[in-house]
Amino acid sequence: MSLAEKTPPVREAPVAREPRVTDEHGRRVRVWELVLRYVLLLAVLALTVGPFVWQLSTSLKGPTEDIFSSPPKFLPSHPTLHNYKRVADTIPVWDYAFNSLKVAAANVVTNCVGSALAGYALARLRYRGRRIATLVFILAMLVPVEGIIIAQFTTMRELGLNNTLIGVVLPGCIGAMNVLLMRNAFLNLPYEIEEAAYVDGANVWQRFLRIALPSVKGTLAVVAIFAFMGAWDDFLWPLIVLSDPSKFTLTIGLNYLHGTFANDERLVAAGTVIAVAPLIALFACLQRYFFRGVGEGAVKG
Amino acid sequence: MALSTLSGKRIAGKAVSGARPPRRVRRQLPTSPWLFAAPGLLITGVFILYPFVSTVINSFTDRRTLIPGQFVGLANFRELLHDDMFWIGLRNSTLYVLGVVPALVILPLLLALLVQKNIPGITFFRSAFYTPVVASIVVVGLIWVWLLDERGLINSLLEAVGIGRVGFLSDQWLLLLSAMAVTVWKGLGYYMIIYLAALANVPRELHEAASVDGAGAVRRFLTVTVPAVRSTMVLVGALSSVAAFKVFSEVYLMAGPSGGPAGEDTTLVMLVQRTGTGLTGRVGYASALSLVVFVVTVALMLLVLRADRREET
Amino acid sequence: MPTSRRTFAAAALAALVLPLSACGSGNDDSGSSDASGKVEGDITFQTWNLKANFKSYFDGLIADFEKQYPGTHVKWIDQPAEGYADKISADAAGGTLPDVVNVSPDLVAPLAKAGLALDLDKAAAKYKKEYLAGAWASHQIPGMTGTYAFPWYLNTGPLFYNKSLFKKAGLDAGSPPKTYDELFADALQMAKKSDGKVATLANVPTIEDFGRYGVALMNKEGTAFTFNDAKGVQLLTKYKELYDAKALDPQALTATPESSGKKFLTEAVAMNPGSALDLGNFKKQAPNLYKNIGITDQITSTGHVNMYVMGVMVNSKTKHTPAAVAFAHYVTDAEHQMSFAKKVAIFPSTAGSLDDPYFTKEDGTDETRVRVAAAKSLKTAVNYTPVLFSEQMKTALRNEVAKALQGKESPKEALDNAVKQCNTLLAQQG
Repeated sequence: MSLAEKTPPVREAPVAREPRVTDEHGRRVRVWELVLRYVLLLAVLALTVGPFVWQLSTSLKGPTEDIFSSPPKFLPSHPTLHNYKRVADTIPVWDYAFNSLKVAAANVVTNCVGSALAGYALARLRYRGRRIATLVFILAMLVPVEGIIIAQFTTMRELGLNNTLIGVVLPGCIGAMNVLLMRNAFLNLPYEIEEAAYVDGANVWQRFLRIALPSVKGTLAVVAIFAFMGAWDDFLWPLIVLSDPSKFTLTIGLNYLHGTFANDERLVAAGTVIAVAPLIALFACLQRYFFRGVGEGAVKG
Repeated sequence: MALSTLSGKRIAGKAVSGARPPRRVRRQLPTSPWLFAAPGLLITGVFILYPFVSTVINSFTDRRTLIPGQFVGLANFRELLHDDMFWIGLRNSTLYVLGVVPALVILPLLLALLVQKNIPGITFFRSAFYTPVVASIVVVGLIWVWLLDERGLINSLLEAVGIGRVGFLSDQWLLLLSAMAVTVWKGLGYYMIIYLAALANVPRELHEAASVDGAGAVRRFLTVTVPAVRSTMVLVGALSSVAAFKVFSEVYLMAGPSGGPAGEDTTLVMLVQRTGTGLTGRVGYASALSLVVFVVTVALMLLVLRADRREET
Repeated sequence: MPTSRRTFAAAALAALVLPLSACGSGNDDSGSSDASGKVEGDITFQTWNLKANFKSYFDGLIADFEKQYPGTHVKWIDQPAEGYADKISADAAGGTLPDVVNVSPDLVAPLAKAGLALDLDKAAAKYKKEYLAGAWASHQIPGMTGTYAFPWYLNTGPLFYNKSLFKKAGLDAGSPPKTYDELFADALQMAKKSDGKVATLANVPTIEDFGRYGVALMNKEGTAFTFNDAKGVQLLTKYKELYDAKALDPQALTATPESSGKKFLTEAVAMNPGSALDLGNFKKQAPNLYKNIGITDQITSTGHVNMYVMGVMVNSKTKHTPAAVAFAHYVTDAEHQMSFAKKVAIFPSTAGSLDDPYFTKEDGTDETRVRVAAAKSLKTAVNYTPVLFSEQMKTALRNEVAKALQGKESPKEALDNAVKQCNTLLAQQG
């Protein structure tokens, strides 16, 4: 994807001596508004990440520190990375993470491709049964998963795909909600653009690939994040499908840290951080794209 | 069908001429639409709808996890009507929708507006606000249980302020409220993303025009932003109400597997899980419960869409 | 138009027909119940959350077994702590249950009823005398003949209490309660002196508490529950009194074993049942508390303490019955249980093992003291929780108990309702 070229439209080049703060439209932001924004941002920040800072702090506490003292201590007095090493010693955390990565990556690819195709068909193409097809996806989104998991497993076993990573990916590989999100995105694009391409003689695949798809990069990034997250966090389904511990994903693997005989809160906390960190990193990388992506491409171009 | 409204055909007052796909597109490659939709339909059919068919069949049997069932007609549904737990579950799931959905439609939009501007450090804030979404719900549950405990941080603060300790985790209503707060807290970032994508679509000319007219921030929000993202608000409303009605994890983790004091915080999906899973699960009865959940969510969806259509005309 | 409609119909049909007959546990490939043949073949052995800490133990055990019986190969899989019952349910329903499975008695009962557990009284009767009689009996199911799993490790434990909280409440930290009456009296005083801030108990009574109090839980035939008798009502009435006085933690109605353990660690609760394993845990997690910890015997009115039993079951559909039975026995025989018990503070279920000096000789440390006392009490211990008491029944009892504590129902009404619900569930189990 040629996303790198999509730099924000900087109109006022930063030639001035003092660095200028501009909004997404390149206009200057007033100082008091800026202060207000930061105050609000910090308030929300405390609320959203506070609990995780606590978890991070627990994971850094040394073996001699009392983690259940009251009042609780927020900062570790002897910070150590020892707990992370212990996680790696207790379980093959890299193998599990690699399996999770495979599953999550496959899930991202299938969801992006499958939902974009289906979403385009639902939004842009005209044929009989389009409404029924839409209905199928809406109903699928409403099916309560809790009730069908064993039936899904027996299906998977009859396909001979139990105890494989493919079996883990397959049921969620084209999520109904992602299809509907893509459909929404395609519907939001003005028709004129595709009309023009149609007049130029582009066929449906060309229009899809060259015109429609680049215009919904933002939503595509959202689908990618949701797909990655869904696969990365899922516990019950991979547990049921997989039997072979060498194929276990990270969420299952980290569950081993909850001991049968004794729980070590520091280990569990370190495991949590290991599980969450890649997701936050991924989000931090991708968020620029969906924020800039939509609306920039086709609407302007 | 009101389904097409889910889409938001209107962007920001800019009339989209092609609300109907042009007819001639169809003449070309007649099979390609199905080719586009086939992978999605196949996966959905085999792994979601087909297993669901077996749920529907099971709901008319007395099947248990390891014992094949006999056809029992509507016995499961009749039993439902006399099951106190079912009514408690229905009540709690409904309350959950009423409590959570308005917050999840409005707060993430405000948050999206807050992080929309490219001011220094905003990338960090956006990512940080997303952390509750990516964290596993089990961890989130543990953290909040610890925070809301009788001796937890929040109660220490409340006592310091002079309000006194509050039994967040022992009173049935406070428990439900706490779980709702966690749902909102965890959902903020998720819906913020959907709103961000939609906000990026709002043509800047509209805002500029409004600014020139001298409209204040609040008025700009109501006259420009809200209409522009209205279809997304409907989408968020629909998604969050379905999710709220099917709530499981938050209540399960905070109120415990038996659903709070005397089970008074049990939600419908918790009841499905409790009755239907494990080696002694009553699959038939749980399937009947699932079916009720399904029917209610379909109705909810239609309700949201209907409301949307009425407003639009 | 006809094209697209036909395509759709075909797709829909394919979706419906493809994985048909998924319902039902239909396994026709039944194994043999004869364990007398040659010990050979590939078998799978599933444990419950033991790999992270005991990998080398099990690797060694399996290697020794394979050496002793050439031609066998054991594949070991270990499942994490959570979701074990879900995993076994899916495997049992889907016909993918491993050959040898680590189970607890409540998991064995439904598997045996579905014909998935091998009857060891038939297949392995010769080994019966190697185990403690009580432990062997713990995998027998009322209404069925036979024994459906080898007993594996046992656990029981003392009652821990917080000495400094006892002192603060004016109680003698040197003489903790020995009977239920003393326990209730101490708890009430603790609540009174601390102004309701410190509770003594953190959990509502469970089925095992009723058993330990001397309530008859089921009728002789094992066909109906009976814990709503006068004794049961007496216990619940007492708990109601404690709850009203805040001697039972106000959060007890929503507590889990983990959360109540944490309450003890944060010194919000003065007593907590545990086992020798917890000592190390206290030392690591809450060193301040560890200095103040007191240890006393489990309180019981019957003279028998409660114990937990783990078992090893053989899948009746296994293709290699002799190997599976031989391996299940190998894991649970006296020698291997003993070496496992020395790795972690659990207790062997084999006859005579508890007379080993390891379980009888004191050496002055707390760990040993707890171990010796537990081993002594285990010889007469009882697994009070009936094997037929399912998760659904536990929830039913818990919710009715809560109603009584909240005063929404009288203790008698609550227990009558609980018994009624449990009996209905029992009948539905078939």
